[in-house]
Amino acid sequence: MGIKSFSRARAIHVMLVYTGGCNGCDIEIVNSILSPRFDAEQYNVFLTWNPREADVLVVTGPVTHLNRKPLEEIYNAIPNPKLVVAAGSCALMGGVYKNCYGDIPSEEIEGPVENIIPVNAKIPGCAVRPQDVLAGVVSLLPILLDAD
Amino acid sequence: MDEKVPRSNIIETEIPMGTVHPAALEPYRVRFFVEDEIVQEAEITIGVNHRGIERIMEGLPVEKANSLTEKICGICSNSHIWNSCRTAEIGLGIEIPERANYIRVIMGELERLHSHFLYLAHGCEVLSHETFSMRVFYLREIVMELLAMIGGNRVQYGCSVLGGVRPRCDLDEAKLLRLKEDMDKLEEGLTGFVERFINDSIVMSRITGIGVLPQKQAIELAVTGPTLRATGVARDLRTTMFEYDDFDFNVITQPDGDVKSNLVMRALESFESIKIIRQAIANIPEGKIVNRDWEMFDTDIIESYIEVPRGTLYHSYALESGRVRHCIIRTPSMANIGAMQYACIGDQITDAQLCIVQCDPCFTCTDRAIEIIRR
Repeated sequence: MGIKSFSRARAIHVMLVYTGGCNGCDIEIVNSILSPRFDAEQYNVFLTWNPREADVLVVTGPVTHLNRKPLEEIYNAIPNPKLVVAAGSCALMGGVYKNCYGDIPSEEIEGPVENIIPVNAKIPGCAVRPQDVLAGVVSLLPILLDAD
Repeated sequence: MDEKVPRSNIIETEIPMGTVHPAALEPYRVRFFVEDEIVQEAEITIGVNHRGIERIMEGLPVEKANSLTEKICGICSNSHIWNSCRTAEIGLGIEIPERANYIRVIMGELERLHSHFLYLAHGCEVLSHETFSMRVFYLREIVMELLAMIGGNRVQYGCSVLGGVRPRCDLDEAKLLRLKEDMDKLEEGLTGFVERFINDSIVMSRITGIGVLPQKQAIELAVTGPTLRATGVARDLRTTMFEYDDFDFNVITQPDGDVKSNLVMRALESFESIKIIRQAIANIPEGKIVNRDWEMFDTDIIESYIEVPRGTLYHSYALESGRVRHCIIRTPSMANIGAMQYACIGDQITDAQLCIVQCDPCFTCTDRAIEIIRR
């Protein structure tokens, strides 16, 4: 383990980007990391809002048209190595919003997240349970720690 | 202060925030026009979240459309499905069994509790007082587990169906007992929090007189819900709803319309919610939980208003051979955007985000297609 990985293992920073879902997953994720009940901070996982500081990007929501560019910009701003977690059924497959115009492709919804940025882990659920979010983020940590 | 007037003619600096910003969980854009660090005008732009639920609902069977309305908002999901079912029930003349009504009220009040706790926690976080924020988040977990116990899911529990509530949400003795015990626990925790919060002179000096929304202006802007009640207007739709006929509760108001009034209002309103849930547990009648004895027929446009944690929620649609037509949904935050813009004026730029958060924004619900008709 290099010195970078050694220090990274002691402060994993998760950034949450919210791209137009229903707010449910969003609050559950903030809950899972911040709230004293689940408390991811005891595993040295912290929530950040600065992409330059983040290691893991958690994306929720079907990506709406206006949210596509901010999402790409945030993804590009995160330094390597970076991981992306798609959380919730909207981020995984567009949810109930994806085919809202039947056979005609929707211009409103750009998702799922895979279409826009590469995804490393997927967390299903509508809304995701905090336990699942913790399991998803923790399952990615080996990739992050073996990076250099 | 009678009125706040934006000074749009002298704009020295513009500070944009958004669409992704740490203090606001949801994506929206706000532009502050600033002079000497004092906000002169604020402008909120929404539309980033628009997904078009009404368009998806158009032409769906009404039962399906009802469960789809839940996906409008992850915070007040129960209110949406409740009001959507209520709309069809008013149109088709369906009588709801008394027991189902009580369960709906219990769910509605539990949701009000979790929404208000989220507001308090988020407010304290924006105040940068993490200890208070964590304490409220911990209390909120009690409510979330009760919701998961009754509905089976922590966020979208889909309690109401056409004619009553779904069988999973029926309350047996064990569930009622746990509900009762947790209400005691919740009241104890909330009392402790409120005592500490009100007696904390540092926090109080930070939030008193910040983000004032004058009463006259609040009425002019047609602000709804707790944000209106925090300016001293006792207007609560629950007093007129037939669901709440059996329950005894007070409409809480606060005088000032600033951040302190808003925070304290939510805390005091939570006590009223606990009171309503206790009454419901004590008097819950026996009987059926769903009325299946109804017929579908075509109706004209039906309208329904209910009081949800953030204010007045409006649903309307017509039924045509069992399918939804001309669906319109209007959420409370839509009315409160004006309040958010005016509350910032005259305050420091550092407090501006707090002034927006004090109006309890939920931009996910708010992003509906709207058409303003001037007559």
